Amino acid sequence: MIQTTGVSTLLQVALPNAARPAVVAVGILYFAVVLGISVWAARRTRTAADFFVAGKGIGLVALTVASVSVSVSGFAFIGGPGFIYAVGLGAMYIVLPAAVINVMGAWVLAKRMRLLGEARALITIPDAIGARYRSRSAQGLSAIAILVGIVGYMATNALAMGVVINSIFGVGLGWGIWIGMGVTLAYSASGGILAGIYNDVFQGILMAVASVLVFLFVLNFGGGLGEISRTILAHDPTFLGPWGKITPLAALSFFFVFSMGSLGQPQAVHKYYMLRDPLQLKWYPLLKTLGLVLVLLLYFSVGVGVKSFVLSGRLAPLASPDQATPALLLNVTPIILAALVFSGVAAATMSAANSFINIGAAIVTHDLPVAFGRRVKNELRWGRAVTVLIAIAAAITAQRSGTMVAFLGIFGWGLFASTLVPALAVGLNWQGATRAGAIASIATGLIVTLALETAAYWKVFTFPAGVTASAVAMVSSFLVFFIVSWVTRHAAHAQIDPDVKLVMDL
Amino acid sequence: MAPATGEDVTRRAALVALFFGISAIASGYLAAFSTAGTPIWAAWLLALGIPVALGGIMILGAARGRRGIGPLRIPFAFVVVVLVIGFGAALALPATEGPLSTLWLGLPARAAIVIYGVGLLPIVVLPIAYALTFETQTLSAEDVERVRMLARENQAATDNALREPVDDQLRG
Repeated sequence: MIQTTGVSTLLQVALPNAARPAVVAVGILYFAVVLGISVWAARRTRTAADFFVAGKGIGLVALTVASVSVSVSGFAFIGGPGFIYAVGLGAMYIVLPAAVINVMGAWVLAKRMRLLGEARALITIPDAIGARYRSRSAQGLSAIAILVGIVGYMATNALAMGVVINSIFGVGLGWGIWIGMGVTLAYSASGGILAGIYNDVFQGILMAVASVLVFLFVLNFGGGLGEISRTILAHDPTFLGPWGKITPLAALSFFFVFSMGSLGQPQAVHKYYMLRDPLQLKWYPLLKTLGLVLVLLLYFSVGVGVKSFVLSGRLAPLASPDQATPALLLNVTPIILAALVFSGVAAATMSAANSFINIGAAIVTHDLPVAFGRRVKNELRWGRAVTVLIAIAAAITAQRSGTMVAFLGIFGWGLFASTLVPALAVGLNWQGATRAGAIASIATGLIVTLALETAAYWKVFTFPAGVTASAVAMVSSFLVFFIVSWVTRHAAHAQIDPDVKLVMDL
Repeated sequence: MAPATGEDVTRRAALVALFFGISAIASGYLAAFSTAGTPIWAAWLLALGIPVALGGIMILGAARGRRGIGPLRIPFAFVVVVLVIGFGAALALPATEGPLSTLWLGLPARAAIVIYGVGLLPIVVLPIAYALTFETQTLSAEDVERVRMLARENQAATDNALREPVDDQLRG
């Protein structure tokens, strides 16, 4: 849920050198486990369906933990706590939607995506859009939109990996990028999403354990949440106000973008195809919500805890808010906890990168050819080749593009949300939605996001406080979707195939 | 929007709610561009529009033909009300945070309403409601079998044009 903010914020963090023996040892152990899982998964990947959707054979618990893992980036561990430290509880509106997004996704998308995948042997999100509207144009346009978002995500994740690995091993940023991307590439190309899923499971468990331990440590060190709050209230009461130091509009805007926008995040939505038995969806929202809450405990506790420790003089003032987590880990907590969290951050970035590489490869080898009326003969072989190309391109872009990389990463979440939520999430549940509405909505999301983000980046204009390009693009694409579908409503029901209609009726 | 039949009244109501929720949010953003500064009611439009839009899209996804949303209307209503009250209380209650504030589970009142109300209460209600109504409201073994039968038919008819998404204009 917090990928975009995650990578862009992590890029701005100059992580301190954490290369202590315990941190390095845990880091090496972490990479060894990742490689072991990858070798195991590679032996089980034989078809394109294995490679892109894990043969639709993943069990409930594995899928849930993997889904939690890809929903969280390094931001939850580094940038997020720093954001709370800087602005107070207003930063919580990024993660508060965790209470509703998983069950909302289950009702709106999970059942229909999973059944549509079964009825049509679909393997990608643009596949679902193409099937829903019986339109190669809609499939192709949504594929392009996702690919544009992935370009940014991949470059920023590559750079974020470099930052973290450099911090753990002290190898330099350049080598950090290539080591991180090399390991991710090794398991992405050999074992595809199957390796990704089981590495996500390992990485998700690591993140949850690290988060819970840090949460308990902070509460214990601070004398409980009440004592922590008392210290803050004595010095800076606004920090614990319901909006913190940001405006109500800005906080609510976070809640809107990160709740409604979650329905369009391909790394999470794509996973619905992979569940072995659709009836297992019954417990999916509950398990995923609980998992997400565990992983996000660190976000809240470190942000609030470090603020209290600095105000009470137990921790030296921070050079910048983003140093909240590193300062706590390297100065206060036992070093083994620091080692777990740093490996957890590496896990978060690698997990996200693997997912995006796989989705990008599927778009290039499957969706774009389908959009042009063609089929790639050996999707597995080409999938592996494109995986390698995407990873290398991302690593080179991360090394050479400087600040432009941060810009590329900023618009990913909003781009996915504005291009996919109306056409996919509403479209799969409303038979009155039309092909024209879907295409217009995807195009609107793409154009508005790119135009506004570019204009804002180059400071052509400044948004009023609380208004973001992502939010404006999402409401625009929603309204265009409704209006164009209404204008072209005479064509709506003729554009739905009987099997798709059955899935929509269920 | 498509004309409503007797059986899709719930979905139509959900779509209307979603449309008005999104429109309220859009109006809030539009108001923020005012040269006189962001009016206070802009945040209220989001505080009302977000719960209505989220409730609308959840009901849209959960509705099943004539059955509508059945017993799910209670948890859906509860969550929409919790979000409206949570955001509304944060906007409306006076800022009284200070060293002597009464703490609720470790947080001052307004923060506790947001963190525990908006952030935790829906977790207690929605996923449980989803699981408890799963077979009747979301997916049964019979539903899955119907789709699997369809999949087998699709598999058998590999030349069927339905398997390839084709624009009508391209078909012609």
